[in-house]
Amino acid sequence: MSDDEHHFESSESGASKTYPQQAGNIRKGGHIVIKGRPCKVVEVSTSKTGKHGHAKCHFVAIDIFNAKKLEDIVPSSHNCDVPHVNRVDYQLIDISEDGFVSLLTDSGGTKDDLKLPTDDALAAQMRSGFEEGKDVVVSVMSSMGEEQICAVKEVGGGK
Amino acid sequence: MCSSSVSEFSPSTSSAMGLPREFHENCRKSLEQNFLKTFYQWAKDAALSVTNKIIESHSSVPEVKVCNATLRLMYQILNWEFRYSKGGGTRASINVFSDGIRVDNAFAKKTECVIVQPGASWCDVLLSSSHVGWLINLYSSVRQKFDLEGYWLDCPVAVSARKLIVQLCSLAGEIFPSNNAQMREQHLLLLLSGVLPWIDPPDVISKEIEEGRSGSEMIDGCRALLSIGTVTTPVVFDQLLRSLRPFGTLTLLSMLMGEVVKVLMANSTDEETWSYEARDILLDTWTTLLASMDGSGGNAWLPPEGMHAAASLFSLIVESELKVASASATTEDDADCLASVSAMDERLGSYALIARAAVDATIPFLAKLFSDRVARLHQGRGTVDPTETLEEAYSLLLIIGHVLADEGEGETALVPDALQSHFVDVVEANNHPVVVLSSSIIKFAEQCLDAEMRSSIFSPRLMEAVIWFLARWSFTYLMLVEDCNLGSNQLQSLPSRACLFTFFNEHNQGKFVLDIIVRISLTSLMSYPGEKDLQELTCFQLLHALVRRRNICFHLLSLDSWRNLANAFANDKSLFLLNSVSQRSLAQTLVLSAYGMQSSDASNQYVKDLMAHMTSSLVDLTNNSDLKNLAQQPDIIMLVSCVLERLRGAASATEPRTQRAIYEMGLSVMNPVLRLLEVYKHESAVIYLLLKFVVDWVDGQLSYLEAHETAVVINFCMSLLQIYSSHNIGKISLSLSSTLLNEAKTEKYKDLRALLQLLSHLCSKDMVDFSSDSIETQSTNISQVVYFGLHIITPLITLELLKYPKLCFDYFSLISHMLEVYPETLAQLNNDAFSHVLTTVDFGLHQQDVDIVTMCLRALKALASYHYKEKNAGNSGLGSHAAGHTDPNGVFHEGILSRFLRTLLHFLLFEDYSTDLVSTAADALFPLILCEPNLYQGLGNELIEKQANPNFKTRLANALQVLTTSNQLSSSLDRLNYQRFRKNLNNFLVEVRGFLKTR
Repeated sequence: MSDDEHHFESSESGASKTYPQQAGNIRKGGHIVIKGRPCKVVEVSTSKTGKHGHAKCHFVAIDIFNAKKLEDIVPSSHNCDVPHVNRVDYQLIDISEDGFVSLLTDSGGTKDDLKLPTDDALAAQMRSGFEEGKDVVVSVMSSMGEEQICAVKEVGGGK
Repeated sequence: MCSSSVSEFSPSTSSAMGLPREFHENCRKSLEQNFLKTFYQWAKDAALSVTNKIIESHSSVPEVKVCNATLRLMYQILNWEFRYSKGGGTRASINVFSDGIRVDNAFAKKTECVIVQPGASWCDVLLSSSHVGWLINLYSSVRQKFDLEGYWLDCPVAVSARKLIVQLCSLAGEIFPSNNAQMREQHLLLLLSGVLPWIDPPDVISKEIEEGRSGSEMIDGCRALLSIGTVTTPVVFDQLLRSLRPFGTLTLLSMLMGEVVKVLMANSTDEETWSYEARDILLDTWTTLLASMDGSGGNAWLPPEGMHAAASLFSLIVESELKVASASATTEDDADCLASVSAMDERLGSYALIARAAVDATIPFLAKLFSDRVARLHQGRGTVDPTETLEEAYSLLLIIGHVLADEGEGETALVPDALQSHFVDVVEANNHPVVVLSSSIIKFAEQCLDAEMRSSIFSPRLMEAVIWFLARWSFTYLMLVEDCNLGSNQLQSLPSRACLFTFFNEHNQGKFVLDIIVRISLTSLMSYPGEKDLQELTCFQLLHALVRRRNICFHLLSLDSWRNLANAFANDKSLFLLNSVSQRSLAQTLVLSAYGMQSSDASNQYVKDLMAHMTSSLVDLTNNSDLKNLAQQPDIIMLVSCVLERLRGAASATEPRTQRAIYEMGLSVMNPVLRLLEVYKHESAVIYLLLKFVVDWVDGQLSYLEAHETAVVINFCMSLLQIYSSHNIGKISLSLSSTLLNEAKTEKYKDLRALLQLLSHLCSKDMVDFSSDSIETQSTNISQVVYFGLHIITPLITLELLKYPKLCFDYFSLISHMLEVYPETLAQLNNDAFSHVLTTVDFGLHQQDVDIVTMCLRALKALASYHYKEKNAGNSGLGSHAAGHTDPNGVFHEGILSRFLRTLLHFLLFEDYSTDLVSTAADALFPLILCEPNLYQGLGNELIEKQANPNFKTRLANALQVLTTSNQLSSSLDRLNYQRFRKNLNNFLVEVRGFLKTR
């Protein structure tokens, strides 16, 4: 709905940020755009407009970046916007003093524009894994022009 | 005082006194045999002594309280769970296990109606001493006295008296001498005459209640009818009233319920009122009476008057249902629609029983109502808002569906006996009321094929009812195979029955109707976008039920409409919009229909053509060089999910005839599947679909595969497991939202469960194998593979995850199977994995679920007996795992077998468990004792020392002695010895648990 607001910041050239999909086909666990935000659907219920009307879907979804809860009701034969959610794994190279991380890209360059996750415990986990010298792989989720670290995995090494 | 002692002595309500169970049991027995009747006598006498005072006095006197207390006590005593009455056998030792398991009452209904069976010895107190007469007199005379004061009906003494009367109505069993049916009838008649003023005449009573009188007495009257209905047959039930009134009890029941329904119709508020309760109780009464007839061969008809009563009641009920429907038509429908179809099921089922009690009247009646509604829809088309009529038609379809056919879940649905045996004078099918009714509905349904009609009449909700009806109807009537859906043979010769059966068979209208049904299905799938419930009904109930019947498959494949459906499935984009479960079901249905092909080759070709488009789209996608970016696009994700669901549906339809084609289908997507597993590692929904497809495919295929094919499949599964675990071990997902985190956990659980199922299916190859190779040529060792798999996934299984019951079940069934069949491989597991497996077994032993504990016990048995046998053969068995070790700090850790021996003994002696577990536990305990005889001796001595009571001490010591020596138990692990030990353990527990376990 608000395509113009954030213009193509992602490096995936030409990738449109949202796709239309029939509301009846969006399932729990899938993604949806509500009020211009990319969300993950946690609950879908269907009801009818009047007993003999058409079905409509009631979505409860959670913003994948700021965890806010959003709701929407759409006739189930209509189209909804579904965000293009991309997740890429990077190897963690460095954590700087100011909380930014340095990541190794597939092509061998570095990506330095992401901060540690805001959750203290999880940030600490990344930090300790890194300081112990383990190989830490982080997954970065990006959608509609935003990016965030969404998962960490230690793949051994260290000690 | 007496009342509290009764409740104290009933074990389920006794207070904890720290006394052994055995003591409680003995108390209970002596109370029942020696005192209960005496208490009852006392209560009766006490009540009798105050009766006169109560009846004579004009205001409330303290005696009323006494009377109330005694009535309550009598009620409580009759509620006692009589156990020692039957046969009068006194058992020498009390089996403490059976305690707490109530003997299931076959007559138990949803409105409680407990049958009172105190046994023959109570005859004098309850029956021959005019006890009932006294009670009824008491109630009616006091009732008369306070007639003007409405509150009296709800005051305690009235309530208790009515409760007792209702309870006496359900008196049954040996208390009535078997040779004296009259006595029983007299007893019931007496009660009925006492109850009659509460409910008769129904119209007056209901009017009074509507004007403010309390409804409790009338409801108790209904309860009394239910109780009487429960202990009698319909004919006896009906006869009872004839000596008091010019009509039978059924007529009274019908009138009574008619009044209740009228009241319900008049005030259509949602409030729970007395009429709701009364309706439910009366409906139960009908069900109780009629259900006993329905199964008994169809010739047991109600007496004509009863039939008439049922017919008029049914028409009232339908009228009220339709009124409710049209009134609620415009209200917003919040409930899930599938739920609403099945929610009324139970009620409609009872209505159907009433309708079937008088089919001669009710079937034509329904036909008339239905054609009436159809005509109204046509007349008002375009001018009048049809909503109310639509809702009426909807309700009618549901009611008719219930009357015409039973739910055929899991078995062949028979045409209801009543419909087979009535209408004897009908000779031509076209005039058979059932045929007329069915045809008119099918004709109506067919109109939805017309786009214009569809938009003006066939709302999604009406379509749901149409599809539901067609599914239920076709399962019972369409293309019946001779002698399969017929039911009882005595009816075979009826001509009316013959025309009912042949009319919809393959030589007659059957094929024509089948074609209509398929076209309607396609319409509901294509022309109602986004109507999930409708599509699910169509796929699961209607189409799926059709292909489950082999003879129908042959006809389906010859129909153009079926070819259109298959075509649309393979090529039409709009069917990709179906909801995912419907996709799967549709794929399964279409593949199953391939059975109707003439040869196996043709069937395989049919499946191949059907699925070729899906497999090639997956292959093309994964060959795309830009897969990584492409794959993340929502439209691609949706496409992949769709295709995977369809593949899974097809895989789950594997049958010998189509196995080749489905094997090749899976083979061609093996590489794409692994590629996608990699690409979608963050898209858990897709991963789950991938895993489930593989699980179902392996399950369907494995037993047919030759050795080299098995090797291919197993290698594929191994790569799958490796890739999956490399993505998931040590991964921590971050999310700000706890909901999303929980979701992630649930997803992980579902994945793991799928993987466990995969491993179990792989195991089954060793058990069921249809391949042509002999066992010797088996090139892959399944146990190795599965252990390797277990190595990969056990680190992912945490005790936290085992709290999911289904996962827990799958996990332990796999573990116990593994240990029983390949114990030697377990010994080879590395230390971490080994102890992890055993920790989970220990965890499983402490679960509530009997199945899980059983599986853990079987695992233990396998483990211990393996060790014992190996030891005896001079091998190391479980080696260091069993021996125990001393850790670097000098602390001794005992071996696993000792640990489990300790746990198991404690479990058996002190914890609560079901009796079913004893023999399995014996099988595990026996080898454990043999493995660790010294520890067992020690534990036994410890137990004896702990007993303070010298009597118990010797009993325990003896019991322990007997446990291991009686029945010529020897120390070899053979079948005979296991059996002996089971017997020993059972005796042992019966002997000692009574005093070891305290309460």
